Amino acid sequence: MNGMTVWQPKTGEQVTDIVTSALAERRKLSVSGHETKAGLGHPVDAKESLSLKNLSGIVDYQPEELVLVVKAGTPLDEIEKTLSEKNQMLAFEPPHLERFYGTKSTGTIGGLVATNLSGPRRVSAGAARDFLLGFAAVSGRGDVFKSGSRVMKNVTGYDLSKLMCGSFGTLAVMTEITLKVLPCPETSSSLSLLCDTIDSAQLALANAFCSDTEPSGGAISRTSEGWKAVIRLEGVDVSVRDRMTKLKSTLQSAGTSQVLDKQASEAFWGDWRDISMISDDAEQVYRLSVTPSDAPKIASSLLKAYDLELGFDWMGGLIWIGGKGAGLGQKVRQTIKDFNGHATLMRGTEGHRRDVGVFQPQAAPLAALARRIKNAFDPEDILNSGKMGTIGRGA
Amino acid sequence: MLLPEPDQTILCRRDEIISALKRFVPAGAVIDDDTTMAAYDTDGLSAYRNQPLVVVLPETTQQVAAVMKWCRDNDVKIVPRGAGTSLSGGAIPLADGVLLGLGKFNRILDIDFINRTVTAQPGVTNLGITQAVQDEGFYYAPDPSSQIACSIGGNIAENSGGVHCLKYGLTTNNVLGIEMVTMDGEILRLGGKHLDSGHLDVLGVMTGSEGLLGVVTEVTVRILRKPATQRALLVGFDTVQDGGQAVSDVIAAGIIPAGMEMMDNPAINAAEDFVNAGYPREAAALLIIELDGPEAEVDVLIKRVSEIVKASGASSIRISQSEEERNQFWAGRKSAFPAVGRISPDYLCMDGTIPRKALPEMLTRMSAMSQKFGLRVANVFHAGDGNLHPLILFDANADGELHRAEEFGAEILRTCVELGGVLTGEHGVGVEKRDLMTEMFTEDDLKQQQRLKCAFDPQHLLNPGKVFPVLHRCAELGRLHVHQGKLPHPDIPRF
Repeated sequence: MNGMTVWQPKTGEQVTDIVTSALAERRKLSVSGHETKAGLGHPVDAKESLSLKNLSGIVDYQPEELVLVVKAGTPLDEIEKTLSEKNQMLAFEPPHLERFYGTKSTGTIGGLVATNLSGPRRVSAGAARDFLLGFAAVSGRGDVFKSGSRVMKNVTGYDLSKLMCGSFGTLAVMTEITLKVLPCPETSSSLSLLCDTIDSAQLALANAFCSDTEPSGGAISRTSEGWKAVIRLEGVDVSVRDRMTKLKSTLQSAGTSQVLDKQASEAFWGDWRDISMISDDAEQVYRLSVTPSDAPKIASSLLKAYDLELGFDWMGGLIWIGGKGAGLGQKVRQTIKDFNGHATLMRGTEGHRRDVGVFQPQAAPLAALARRIKNAFDPEDILNSGKMGTIGRGA
Repeated sequence: MLLPEPDQTILCRRDEIISALKRFVPAGAVIDDDTTMAAYDTDGLSAYRNQPLVVVLPETTQQVAAVMKWCRDNDVKIVPRGAGTSLSGGAIPLADGVLLGLGKFNRILDIDFINRTVTAQPGVTNLGITQAVQDEGFYYAPDPSSQIACSIGGNIAENSGGVHCLKYGLTTNNVLGIEMVTMDGEILRLGGKHLDSGHLDVLGVMTGSEGLLGVVTEVTVRILRKPATQRALLVGFDTVQDGGQAVSDVIAAGIIPAGMEMMDNPAINAAEDFVNAGYPREAAALLIIELDGPEAEVDVLIKRVSEIVKASGASSIRISQSEEERNQFWAGRKSAFPAVGRISPDYLCMDGTIPRKALPEMLTRMSAMSQKFGLRVANVFHAGDGNLHPLILFDANADGELHRAEEFGAEILRTCVELGGVLTGEHGVGVEKRDLMTEMFTEDDLKQQQRLKCAFDPQHLLNPGKVFPVLHRCAELGRLHVHQGKLPHPDIPRF
């Protein structure tokens, strides 16, 4: 940050002015909130920073409409506090990455949407991208534009919200964000099953999700005793108890079982959401999104070659691995290529990020399309240049 | 509702285009005689008809790619078509465009219960997916009312909804992957059986793009386990205000019903005349609230909901005691459109969405409009998500009535936007609402959407004339107007 100009606009109009003047002089901007996820994505090529941390606050919250409108720099913890007062939540269960990235803040809603990060409930409720109803933004052309709305059901025009989610600030600077919120479940409880192999643990998860017990989380944790499958049930009290009985009988032969009460269940899933399976020591951390039934094969293949920390979420469809070694990145990339899926390097030195890339390489026609899309929003590549790798570079 | 003026040079090249297309697809897959082509003249927006230049029905992704690439190279427009059930005219043909029908893509390719996915060709019907998995106790959640006929590829194009969106989402929340062909003839695979892929969410923006960005040739969707129980409440209200309040009260209590449908008095009576569902004819508004899930949960929620609606002023409450009774509750709602069709020679079905709390005001304003235009209106709503389906009754044979009905519809949609809502909740913009887009979007909003279109189809060859009221050339849209020397606000903190 030394010697870097940092813009801290307080209004959307000021954001427009900053982008417009940067565009006029072709000055590149690093777009950020609280910079809690600076470790995610490629290093940005920019000498000036546009921080949205002063563009903060709740614009409108209507619990009975299930709608929340906030400025992009609003801190996540402030939003979660406001929602919890009305017994509502961001149902995609956003991870809190303070420990993981060694930062002091939970980050801003803009940063969360830009990275499309979702927690354990992703598997039943949807991702961040499924809850973004609309936004206002300033494009890399300096144009103010909006998409979407404040209503649940809307197909008017292209769904640019989907494109903004996970675009890492490379297309436009979001100034206002509209989210769908949901009521918190009344209670929750989890079933933990100790299994002999990863395969049997993943099968237990699959059977749980194929039953009519409506799980809202499915994890596998590696313990000293074996592979522990954990299945979460949420809802009204009598229903959770009823479904737990059913779930236990469905999975009675899967392994030794233990029921986690509300407190223990919330503690487990809170930790899991925040990537507790990976220690601070792990030099490289990868997040693998895969077909759930492939997860045991993928994990076994990686474990054969490397000593790894690992854990599974999303019924097995999300694998977290932490480890070290020069060839680990290439091994992960190749394994994912063989099975279909996506691996994101979530933590690594600049060298790792450069050498193995942060994102899974795309097929050439798709990569070319992504560059044309970037060009449609930010033709001079002034916003978060390089953050998503080669996109926008014309390479 | 005007489509772009046909390009005479293309019309003159018709024979050449037909023989070129015949090189890419099997014999019989190019239809060029007027009689057979007549089947493709319109879609679900049947007030409008247009004969296509020629119809092509490819059978493989490679054939689709070859046709599209040739059309791109030869500057020929394409209109993609699934089952042709679009209510907004998304598949209305162009006189100078090739109609690309996906009807032969009708196979289910993979059913994977372990990962809870189905992979199908785009011509498979929405209901066909559920039928393929229902014996094992699964279903595909989005359920547009045309589900018996509409295709899953068309569902992707329109981001189709249905009565269960509030709890289970629209198409976009239930699709995991697609294979698509761009106007360049490139075959792209997006997503798969896994969740979020990283990179720009092209799958997300393809969903609901109304056939303007690419042609979907394969679809992978998430299937769900059928809920153990479904029960419904049938609740009457003396005023629509009370009904609207009840909808908000249920949601404010933290309950997300599987479906929450409202009908106004004219719709109640039309339905009652048609199917005898046992609806209270005197009610000003009727709510059908469906709860699904484990039996114990549904029992608890039914009790809670009936207490809530009682407090909101319900004048009658019935709770389904059997599957038969639940289906009877739905019978009137599900036949609302044909029921209204019986009491009026023609009707227009609108599709705006408003914030739920604006429902009473919307209804008051709509009855004033009904007076003003001298046309009757019956209302069915997906009340849970604020999606309105006003049915404007008219007689196309009566002088000027179609025009008045269209004006009435446009005023309803403008009011939706004014009340904080949108032009279309699930039917799409198509040609029907194209010219109203400026009510909701600024010129910059629309230009940014068109720049996205340029990234996929810079020659505007794919389904032109739909969605956007004014077509700008991509070269013009790409030009940067830089405000040289404009300095940032002096009072912005800078460090």
